[in-house]
Amino acid sequence: MFEVFKKELKELLRDKKTLIFIVALPVAIFPLLFAVMAFISSQATLEAEQKVHTYAIINGEYAQSFTDKVFYHKSFQLYKGEHTFNTVAELTQAVKAGTIDMGIFLPADAKQNLDDAKQSQWQVVYNDAKAINFLFDRVKELAEEFGNNLRAEKLLSYGVSVEQQSAIIDPIKVVKVDTADKRENLGEKIGGFIPYLLIPLVLMGATYPAIDLGAGEKERGTLETLLLTPITRTQLVLGKFITLLAASIATTTITVLSMGIWISIAITFIDLDVVKTAFSSLRVLDLTLIFIILLPVAAIFSSLSLAISIYARSFKEAQNYMTPLSMGVIFPIIVALLPNVELTAKTAFIPVTNVALAIKEIIKGTIDYTLLGLIFLATVIVAGALLAFCVKWFNKEAVLFR
Amino acid sequence: MIEVTELKKKFKLTKDHKKNKVDKIDPREDKDYFHSVRNVSFHCNKGEVLGLLGPNGAGKTTTLRMLSTALKPDEGQIIIAGEDIIKKPLFGRKSIGFLSGSTGLYGRLTVKENIEYFAKLHGMNKAAIKTRCDELFDLLDMHSFIDKRAENLSTGMKQKANIARAVVHHPAVVVLDEPTTGLDIMTTQTVIEFIKGLKAQGTPVIFSTHHLDEVALLCDRVAVINEGISCFDGTVEEFKQAGNSEELNQAFMNILTEKRDV
Repeated sequence: MFEVFKKELKELLRDKKTLIFIVALPVAIFPLLFAVMAFISSQATLEAEQKVHTYAIINGEYAQSFTDKVFYHKSFQLYKGEHTFNTVAELTQAVKAGTIDMGIFLPADAKQNLDDAKQSQWQVVYNDAKAINFLFDRVKELAEEFGNNLRAEKLLSYGVSVEQQSAIIDPIKVVKVDTADKRENLGEKIGGFIPYLLIPLVLMGATYPAIDLGAGEKERGTLETLLLTPITRTQLVLGKFITLLAASIATTTITVLSMGIWISIAITFIDLDVVKTAFSSLRVLDLTLIFIILLPVAAIFSSLSLAISIYARSFKEAQNYMTPLSMGVIFPIIVALLPNVELTAKTAFIPVTNVALAIKEIIKGTIDYTLLGLIFLATVIVAGALLAFCVKWFNKEAVLFR
Repeated sequence: MIEVTELKKKFKLTKDHKKNKVDKIDPREDKDYFHSVRNVSFHCNKGEVLGLLGPNGAGKTTTLRMLSTALKPDEGQIIIAGEDIIKKPLFGRKSIGFLSGSTGLYGRLTVKENIEYFAKLHGMNKAAIKTRCDELFDLLDMHSFIDKRAENLSTGMKQKANIARAVVHHPAVVVLDEPTTGLDIMTTQTVIEFIKGLKAQGTPVIFSTHHLDEVALLCDRVAVINEGISCFDGTVEEFKQAGNSEELNQAFMNILTEKRDV
């Protein structure tokens, strides 16, 4: 069995294509991909925010202080072109034509409206689908400031002091007293995505070498050569299974280490205290628990992908069969991401979902160790059953010589 | 000695096969099964080379796969050194050295690593592996390419490496399925000399081929399979007599025609 394992490992390490998927991809491509995405997105936002946007305002004299604030705002520049605008329709047309970036329409004197006990409705015309949707927030902020001042003046004229005003406007203020610490809070928010990243990588670490070890051997004729040797099918399957398990664990380890290194590098640059606190509260024990709980998952994926691969007639056919397997793995992880899906005695028995939920709880620091033990046991049993199935599968002539 | 008695092997027909069935009635096909090997018997004594002949699709490869224990017969016996290898497949695999077109080498391993790997799987120790490898590299003239990866070898080099792989464990019986197909004259000659060497050592060799000149050159006995049934098992002289011709090709054709007519 160990001779088969040693040989498979040697061959695997000489296969550039598989090495790319097992080592290079988790080490370089993922962080690179994230970095590129973050860079492009931040550049686009930065560019949009730094750009000065042209605007036009209709009836600006109805709210002069507001009009002045918009005029002197660093992000806005008053349109000084040949067009004149009198209606919202004209503003809309100008935004669509790209003549202006934003139009503001004040239909009536806001102060007069307030005196007449009427609410004023201002309209901001802009393209919400573009990366300039922050324009609305800025105008809204300035408009609210203007509105607050109007209200304060009015209430003052009624003899309501500034102190009384806040109590009248907002008689009850609800204050949140959060019992969750920063780790639990952040764990709840991002904890679900960590297994979403980790578990498919465990699968990927098993599937790529599995295709080579099963269907690849069939295609190259080496499987029949191997079947001629005096080793039992159980030894043969175990040798291949251990190789896949090692590859899968290696991919996971490399990914976790790579992610850890990249996060620590990123923290030194971006100096995010929340992230720092959350990750520094993750103990070595927690990471070890995540690693241990992933071991039987790796065993499940290794057995499944080996069984699928040996059934396939060719490399290509095996690749086709692996796609539904990947989808079948993603689905239970998504279930774990759904709101209100918690780790309970029931969900602890749903394969893959249980591990995803356990990882989330470990990251939050709220894992129930009895449930964790139950999940480990359940996953080991499933892995054992699948391995036994794999051995049986390898004994079937109809599978080996399709 | 190896003795094969009344081997039978059938394969379940797939739905696709049943659906695409043509009108021609194959005598080996029934409603659910294809009877690839219906009744095959032959034997090969110590120091003999047996030529296993038959047209394409006759059931030779299935028979040889059963000999290699890769496939399990439905009925029959394969006796080597008094043991039925169908009941003791691990003993069979230790006793047989098998080479066919579908037994490949590991491309990313060197020739030496390939042969050493299979020797280890046969339970040989380091010293025995080294001695045997040196002996085979000399015999098959392989020293110039033993450190090359198998994926970079020519067809001839590959076949030599494959033969070395098949016999590295000193098998009691050697089974070679068309070992000279696609080889150049020089490599063919090396393979023929190697088979002669095995014969001289007293190892029974079962040798499947379509080249009857090689049968004339190497074989003591001939077995013919047609449509999954043995139609001849005897010495080369008996083969010529049965086929009413001194020419092996003609004798072979006559035997097949006669059996078909019967």
